[in-house]
Amino acid sequence: MSVIEINHLTKYYGKERGIIDINFDVEEKEIFGFIGPNGAGKSTTLRTLLGLIYPTSGSAKLFGKDCIKYGPELKREIGYLPSEVFYYDKMKVIDLLNYSASFYKKDCSKRIKDLAGIMDLNLNKKIDDLSFGNKKKVGIVQGLLHEPKLIILDEPTSGLDPLMQQRFFELLQEENRKGATILFSSHILGEVQRMCDRVAIIKEGKIIQLDKISALQESNYKKIKVQTSGSLDQNYFNIRGVSNLEVKQHIVSFLFRGNINSIMKKISETDIANLWVEEPDLEEIFLHFYEKES
Amino acid sequence: MNVFIREMKANRKALILWSIGVFLMIASSMGKYAGLSASGQSVTDLMAQMPQSLKAIMGMGTFDLSTVSGYYGVLFIYLAMIAAIHATLLGASIISKEERDKTSEFLFVKPISRSKIITLKLIAALVNLLILNLVTLVSSILLVQNYSQGEGIIGDITRLMLGMFILQLIFLFIGTALAGVSKQPKTAQSYATGILLFTLMLSFAIDLNERITVLKYLTPFKYFEAKNLMDTRGFEPVYLILSGLIIAVLIKVTYIFYEKRDLNV
Repeated sequence: MSVIEINHLTKYYGKERGIIDINFDVEEKEIFGFIGPNGAGKSTTLRTLLGLIYPTSGSAKLFGKDCIKYGPELKREIGYLPSEVFYYDKMKVIDLLNYSASFYKKDCSKRIKDLAGIMDLNLNKKIDDLSFGNKKKVGIVQGLLHEPKLIILDEPTSGLDPLMQQRFFELLQEENRKGATILFSSHILGEVQRMCDRVAIIKEGKIIQLDKISALQESNYKKIKVQTSGSLDQNYFNIRGVSNLEVKQHIVSFLFRGNINSIMKKISETDIANLWVEEPDLEEIFLHFYEKES
Repeated sequence: MNVFIREMKANRKALILWSIGVFLMIASSMGKYAGLSASGQSVTDLMAQMPQSLKAIMGMGTFDLSTVSGYYGVLFIYLAMIAAIHATLLGASIISKEERDKTSEFLFVKPISRSKIITLKLIAALVNLLILNLVTLVSSILLVQNYSQGEGIIGDITRLMLGMFILQLIFLFIGTALAGVSKQPKTAQSYATGILLFTLMLSFAIDLNERITVLKYLTPFKYFEAKNLMDTRGFEPVYLILSGLIIAVLIKVTYIFYEKRDLNV
């Protein structure tokens, strides 16, 4: 069953582009990554799912029900961590968490203590006095305290130190094992690569690629570096499937996607001194997607 | 229910301060009255010589300042103004604060509909208004009775406070409606205060210039005037109906716009 189904979702802010014709599904128990640079439309998509803003056209379903029409009911099973956490200043952490828990019809007090323990969060401090990272921790506990079946996270790790990031990811993986579906947006590829099963890449409001992480990495992308013995025409390797082409004196490097034979033939036709063929990491593929087509 | 309690807590301190302010206002004014009445006839003479326009601006109109009810009638304009400012600011902020403080991504992802949130917030606001009104009523009765010399004033004061409560309601919902419509959370309060000042000035202008009396329907401050409420005329049906209509429309606007629009996140 698909937990999230997004159909032709489009959002304009007046004339300004938010997202255009977004389509993707997130399956049950999947960890789905949503990556793109700032302003690409990640938060817009997530906020539309949560009914904070309304779509211009298109629709989205959560657990098979329209996310706007059945919003309040659906939100019982959703935990959300916004990219920037702001809370009622004069409250203590524990008061805020209890207030949050009061919206769900279950006792969350033990869970709050457990989560605060894992995230190393002092419950008796005032929220005003917390650092950015600690506010983020409050957000994490607040988003998970009712054991939601769907966890939506908007750039969850910004502000967390590496140790806390590690614990947070372990926490998410634990929730996932218990059956939670996770959708999270990020512009940090390392964490997406580490956590997610599938990933959608969004750019300027449109989904430009949707694939399994493993497929993205493997899908015939090769990072190739050739050292030639003689000088070579700048555009010698500029054939179909080559991107990020860089020529530095006798060293040529590029990304290649396509039939490996064609590039090998090309390489064999020239006199080479050395050759490196590597699996590119996601970052490099990603940069390639982001470069504006010139 | 939780949203209601949260709002009551969030507004507690402000309400206490406003209540103290109102009490001090009445106490100090009645202290002045003590001095005034002691000087006897001379005040009435002085007032008689004062130009009509100056009296209008000070809100004195035709009141007889030598009697406690006349004096309180003048004071009422200021009390009503304080209550109206409180209601306006409360109305605008109670709705727009989630967006202003960026807590909307907390509250509106909870399993509760926007209309229910508005309802709970409005109930909290109404309780706040009622408390301020009761504080004004009780302090007025207690402090004014000291000087009343047998003049029956409880009935008058109660009627005035009833009028003031309707005034509070109108301005509360002007605030909530503007906050409901406005996409910029910070603008709601300034627009609402602008409307308040405009209607107040208009009510003074009408006192100054008889040719624009017809504009009295535009300013709620003219609906419940002390001189009418304390007079035999009491509440005029036309103003009660008008108030009811205005309140109903403003409530509807608050709900419809706030539910339909994108939240500012």
